[in-house]
Amino acid sequence: MGNLAENNTLHADLEPAIDIPSDNHYYLNMGPQHPSTHGVLRVLLEMDGEYVVEAQPVLGYGHRMQEKMGELKNWRAFMPNTGRMDYAAALQYNHGYVGLYERLCGIEVPARAEYIRVITSELNRIVSHHLWIGAMLLDMGAFTPILYTFDDREQVLDILEDVTGSRLTYCYFRVGGVCKDIDDNFIEKTRAFIKRQRERFDIYNDLVTGNIIFIKRTEGIGIISPDMARRYGVTGPVLRGSGIAYDVRKNEPYSVYPNFDFEIPVGQNGDSYDRYMVRLEEIEQSLRIIEQALDQLPDGPFLGKVPKKLKMPTGDCSFAVEAARGELTYYLVSGGGDIPYRLKIRVPSYSNLSVLPELCQGMLLSDLVAAMGSMDLVIPEIDR
Amino acid sequence: MHPATEKLISALQELSIQVDACDYQQRGYHFEIDLEADKLRSLAECMLAQEMFLVFVGGLHVKPAIEIVYQFASFERACRLVVRAAVKADNSMPTISDIYQGANWHERETRDFYGVVFTDHPYLKPLILAEEDVDLKPLLKKDEDLKETSEVRWAAPVEEKPEAEKAEQG
Repeated sequence: MGNLAENNTLHADLEPAIDIPSDNHYYLNMGPQHPSTHGVLRVLLEMDGEYVVEAQPVLGYGHRMQEKMGELKNWRAFMPNTGRMDYAAALQYNHGYVGLYERLCGIEVPARAEYIRVITSELNRIVSHHLWIGAMLLDMGAFTPILYTFDDREQVLDILEDVTGSRLTYCYFRVGGVCKDIDDNFIEKTRAFIKRQRERFDIYNDLVTGNIIFIKRTEGIGIISPDMARRYGVTGPVLRGSGIAYDVRKNEPYSVYPNFDFEIPVGQNGDSYDRYMVRLEEIEQSLRIIEQALDQLPDGPFLGKVPKKLKMPTGDCSFAVEAARGELTYYLVSGGGDIPYRLKIRVPSYSNLSVLPELCQGMLLSDLVAAMGSMDLVIPEIDR
Repeated sequence: MHPATEKLISALQELSIQVDACDYQQRGYHFEIDLEADKLRSLAECMLAQEMFLVFVGGLHVKPAIEIVYQFASFERACRLVVRAAVKADNSMPTISDIYQGANWHERETRDFYGVVFTDHPYLKPLILAEEDVDLKPLLKKDEDLKETSEVRWAAPVEEKPEAEKAEQG
């Protein structure tokens, strides 16, 4: 029993593990097959007991050289690739890619197509957040929430499957519009989903938001300060959790987003809990956008007139969209013709994950799982 | 123009860096800068002081020298800059990873794809490619595909009537 008292005093000053010189450091491989790394990410951890001294993410297990493929194919042939980077929010990747060509070649998009794009993109954002809530809590040992969020996710996937033809890696947008029109059935089902989702928030809140174990494991864990976010180029809900209201949809509006009234939810402390709250609130904001878009949905063509072979002017062009995980930027350099000379794809999770080595110094290993979970990483997007 | 953007432009001009305005509707960014590699670090310090964040670092293989492209943007307002700098004669570039820590991975990736050496980078090991592919440099162009710098610079599109009959529907 004497030992216990000693241990307690030890516990009191164990906090900055990194400052304690110790010869007992050891290495721990987290991944590439660890369930909480969502794909094949490996984090090489230097540990001091239960505390992380240094973390070095090792990338590239899912690398496919998408940027090289982008230099070899015209837009039509590369279109399916865009949906295979961030498979959880593929439509936003579609959107950025077609937007890039439309901007560069000055192609007009029919109003109805833009509305359809916004509606489906926002549905995709909701689906992505559903997946995230379930998966993050599963990482932390809570099995039940994923059953509820996946139930809701299935509703949306069915709606999107009807119109896009796929459930995950969408290839739905085209330069000049979308490839299939939405019908009354789609609108009816989407409205029903909005109603249903609003009722489901109570369940989420009962199950997760107010759960004392969840709060204890996320509050004050993995704090990203606004300054740190700027130095690393962190974007998306991770940035908004730190209190910076940066959203490409508001900052550099594209498509028909200026027509809608929606808010950018922000957190205060920049911890894992705030990032959860931001994403939960974003689902509601996306519902608001979809609702307004359905009300305003104009008639007309869903695909404009586009030349079979695009003639790109020479020069560079950039197009940024707000993907579910943050700012996605396509940067294209054209040397004329219809195939890009260079296609750079800036993916949000890449910069978001690069914070990790600084973020997790002196952190408990179990807290690292919570902090990494709250970042909403999709590894194939990082590896491209 | 937003006062903070004006302040940024004048701060850059104090470093005798020429800033050109672009048409956002056509290009997707507001300003472009062609830079000598020597001035890169002072530009990055200026950007951080003016509260810009680093969007990405990428390479561009052109004749006569590889260019490194940096994009900066603002969290607070619509302001996006593209900076291009040709690598030095020994295929190197000063690192900015001590100013923008986020550049660390971007520079390692550019080193993977183009073989550009970022001087004073703290850990220039392969990031995306495997260790044994260190000399692969997959994004370098073949000689016959390689274009001059001037061939990939912006040229306003020539007004041409779209060929309506060739247009495609559905």
